[in-house]
Amino acid sequence: MSIIYVLIPIALLFVMIGLGIFFWAVRTKQFDDLDKEGFSILFDEKNTEQKSKPPKHEL
Amino acid sequence: MSKSAVPCFHCHEAVPDNCNFMVEFDGESRACCCPGCQAVADTIIKQGLSDYYRFRSKPASKADAVPAELQQLQSYDHPDILAELAVLQGEFQRIELSIAGMSCAACAWLIEKNFQADTAVKRVQVNSATSRCELIWDANTRPLSEILNSINSLGYQASPFVADAEEESFKKEMQDYLKRLAVAGIMTMQVMMLAFGLYFGEHTGIEAQYEGYLRWVSLLLTLPVMAYSAMPFTKSAYRALRQRELNMDVPITLAIYYTFIASLYATVSDTGDVYFESVCMFVFLLQVGKFFEFRARKQARDATSNLLKIMPVSAELWLDDRTETIPARKLKIGDVILVKAGETIPADGIVVSGQSSVDESMLTGEYQAVTKQTNDLVLAGSNNHDGILTVRVAKALTESRLGQIIQLQQQTLHQKPALLEKTDKIARFFVQRLLVVATATFLVWYFYLDESRAFWVTLSVLVATCPCALSLATPTAITCALAWLNRKGILIKNQQVLASLPKLSTVFFDKTGTLTQGKFSIEQFTVHHPDFNETQLLQLAAHLELRSEHPIAKAFLPHLQGEIQLQDVELVVGNGLQALWWHQTEWRSVRIGSASFCNVSQSAPVCMTVDNKLVATITLSDAIRPEVESLVKKLRTNGIKMAIITGDSSANAALVANTLQIDELYQGCSPEEKVAQITKATERGETVLMVGDGINDSPCFHAAHVSVALDSGTDLSKNQADVVLLHNDLTALFQLIEGAQRARRVIKQNLIWAFGYNLVIIPLAVCGFVSPYIAVIGMSTSSLLVVSNSLRLLKS
Repeated sequence: MSIIYVLIPIALLFVMIGLGIFFWAVRTKQFDDLDKEGFSILFDEKNTEQKSKPPKHEL
Repeated sequence: MSKSAVPCFHCHEAVPDNCNFMVEFDGESRACCCPGCQAVADTIIKQGLSDYYRFRSKPASKADAVPAELQQLQSYDHPDILAELAVLQGEFQRIELSIAGMSCAACAWLIEKNFQADTAVKRVQVNSATSRCELIWDANTRPLSEILNSINSLGYQASPFVADAEEESFKKEMQDYLKRLAVAGIMTMQVMMLAFGLYFGEHTGIEAQYEGYLRWVSLLLTLPVMAYSAMPFTKSAYRALRQRELNMDVPITLAIYYTFIASLYATVSDTGDVYFESVCMFVFLLQVGKFFEFRARKQARDATSNLLKIMPVSAELWLDDRTETIPARKLKIGDVILVKAGETIPADGIVVSGQSSVDESMLTGEYQAVTKQTNDLVLAGSNNHDGILTVRVAKALTESRLGQIIQLQQQTLHQKPALLEKTDKIARFFVQRLLVVATATFLVWYFYLDESRAFWVTLSVLVATCPCALSLATPTAITCALAWLNRKGILIKNQQVLASLPKLSTVFFDKTGTLTQGKFSIEQFTVHHPDFNETQLLQLAAHLELRSEHPIAKAFLPHLQGEIQLQDVELVVGNGLQALWWHQTEWRSVRIGSASFCNVSQSAPVCMTVDNKLVATITLSDAIRPEVESLVKKLRTNGIKMAIITGDSSANAALVANTLQIDELYQGCSPEEKVAQITKATERGETVLMVGDGINDSPCFHAAHVSVALDSGTDLSKNQADVVLLHNDLTALFQLIEGAQRARRVIKQNLIWAFGYNLVIIPLAVCGFVSPYIAVIGMSTSSLLVVSNSLRLLKS
C-alpha cells in the first residue's frame, strides 16, 4: 500500500496542471462566448470543402 | 402583399409581389425582399461566406435600404476622436465595437471571417452573447470608417463602444467566479475521493499511518478552497460584522471555519473525525448558486447599455474659411458648427443659417419632426434630417438638455423606493438565535454534561442548522424565475422587482412609442382624380419618399415595390418633394408634401399633385399597438390602476386614453414633472410600475418601484430600466407579473421547508442525538429539496 505515497502526489501534480490550464483558458477569454465556440467547429470543417465547390457551379 | 409569399432569402420576411431582387446561392437563384437584403446577401456570398446561410440558427434582421454613409463614418477617423475611442497598443489600436442586428452565433462567425483575410487587422473577436466585437488593427493602413463600413455591408450596424467602469469590473468578476468555481469543484472531487478511502477504512480497518496520510493530503487540498474559493463569503461576513450587522454570510463562514478548524485539530492531534469533504462541497454548492445569479445579472447588463451611441461624438467646427472635425466634448460656447443632413447635433445652440427638419424624439418622445430656421434653438442629441444647418453653440455638451436629463437620472438613481430585503431580515433574526443556541449548547455540554463531547455536539448543531437551505431558498428561486422570464423575452436587470411586482397597484404608461407604435402609418389614402388608382399613387409616393429622411417618409416604405421612372427628384426642406415622373407617354411633374407646398387648400397633412392638380390626400397616424387592448383588459380585471404620462400636450393623448379607457391622464409633462407625478403616487403608498421608451422617460424610471423599457426604445432608457421587453410585445408585462407571483410562492414554500427542518433538527442536535455525519446528510438533502423546488419555476 505504500505505493500511495508516490501515486497521490503524482495525482496532485496532474490536478495542478489541469487547474493551470483552466486558469489560462479563463484568462484568454475562451469562456466569454460559449455559443460561438460550439458553432466554430461546424464552420471550419465545411470551409475546406467550400474551397473546391464554387468552380463546379461555374462549369 | 400576399401572405403566401416566399420568405426573403436573407431575413425570412415575406417577399412583396412584383419585385425582383435575386441572389445566386448554390447555383439556384433566391428571392430577397428589398434592395438592402439583396446587397447584403450578395456581399456575403461573393466573399465566400455562404456557410453563414447554411448554419445560422436564426434569420438575419432586415437590412437597411439606406445604410449609413461612409462620409458620416469618416468623422471617426480623426486622430483626436480615435484617441477617445480606441486604446493604443504598440503600433496597433484596440477598440470595442457594439454591433446591432446580430441574431445568432453564425453572425459572429461571419464578421470574424470577414476580417481574417485583412492584413491590417491583427485580431478580431466577436462575442455573440453580448453583441460586441473586440478589434486590434493598424489604423494607419485601414481607417476605422472602412472597418465600420465593411461590417455595415454585411447587414449589421457597428458603432464604437466605450465600456464604463462597471462593465469592466463585471468582466473581471466573471473570470474570478469561474476560477473560484474550478478550484472548489476540482478540489471537492479530490477530497471526496480520499474521503471514500477513509470511510471504507473506518469499516474494514485502516493502518494508522495511512489514515493520517490521507487526512493530511485532504487538509492540503482543502486549503486552496478555504483561502481562495470561500473568500467572497469570508469577506462579506467580515464586512457585516465590522458594521455590527449580521447577514447570511456570517453563519455560512462560521460553519465553514468551524468545520475546517475542527477537522484541522483532528488531523493534527490524530483524534476525532475529519469533514474536509463537507467543507469543500458546501463551498462548491454555494459558489454554483452565486455564479448562476451573477451570470443572469451579467447577461441582462450586457444585452443593454450603450450610452455612447446617443452622445454625439464629433462636431464640424467652422473656422473662417474651412471646417475642422473636433470631439464634441471640446466645443465651447460661441463656437460655430456645421451640421450636415443625417448627422446628430453635437450641442445645444441657435441656428445661424440654413433650414432643416429635426427629429427631437430622443428628447421629447414625439416623433413629429420639427422645422428649424434661423434663430431657432436646436438640442444636442437630436437628429438633423434633410438640410444643412450652421449653429452657434449656446451650451457645452455636458450642460445641454441631453446632459441635464442624464444628470437628473443619476440624481434619481439613489431614490429608488426599496422594499426592505426580506431575506436579510430573516437572516438577522435567524443568525442571532442560532449563535445564541450554539454558544449555549457548548457551554451546557462543557460544564454540565460531557466535556469531551461539547466540541463535536456544537459542530453538529452548526452544521445541521447551517443556513444552507435558508440561504439558497431565495436566490435559487429568483435565478430560476429570471431564467424562465428570459426565455419569454423578458430581461430582468434588477432582481428586486420580483419582490415588488406581486404588490403592483398602478401602471404608468408613456404614450408615444410605448402604447403607440412610435412611427407613422398611413391611416387614410383618398384619391381625388379619376385617372389614377390608389396602388399606383401609393407606389409613386413610396418611391419619392425613399429620398427623404423625414419620419413621415417611413410610413410609405411598406408600399415600396415595382419600378418607377423618376427624374430630377428634389427635396424642399420642411415642405416636401418634387420630381418628374414618366407616366404612360410623357414626363409629368409630381409634388408630395404639405398643402401649401402643393398649392392646394386641403387640411390633410400630406397632399400629392400631378401637373399641379390634386390627385390624393393622405392622413397619417401613430397607431396604437395591437396588443395593448388585451393587456389593458387583463390589468383591469386584476384591479390594477392605469395612467398615461406623456410629454404630448395635444388632443391625441386624450384620444388614446379614451379609446383604451385609461383611468388617469397626465399630459404635457416635462421629464421633471413625470418624476414628480410618480413620486406622488409612491408616496400615496402605491406600488408603481412605469413603462417607457424615450430618454425623457428614463429619469422617472428610478422614481417607480419597477421600470420597464421596450427593446425598440432608446439605449439610455434600456440602460436605466429594471426590465427590458426584448420582443417589443407589451403583453409580456402580464407574464412578468405572473412570473413574479410564481417566484414568490416558491420562495415561501422554500422558506417554510427550511424553517421547519431547522425547528426539528435543532433540538435533536442540541441534545447530542445527531452525529456530524448525519448532520451533513440532513443539510445536503434539505438544500437539494429547496433547489429542486426552485427548478420547478423553469417549467411553464
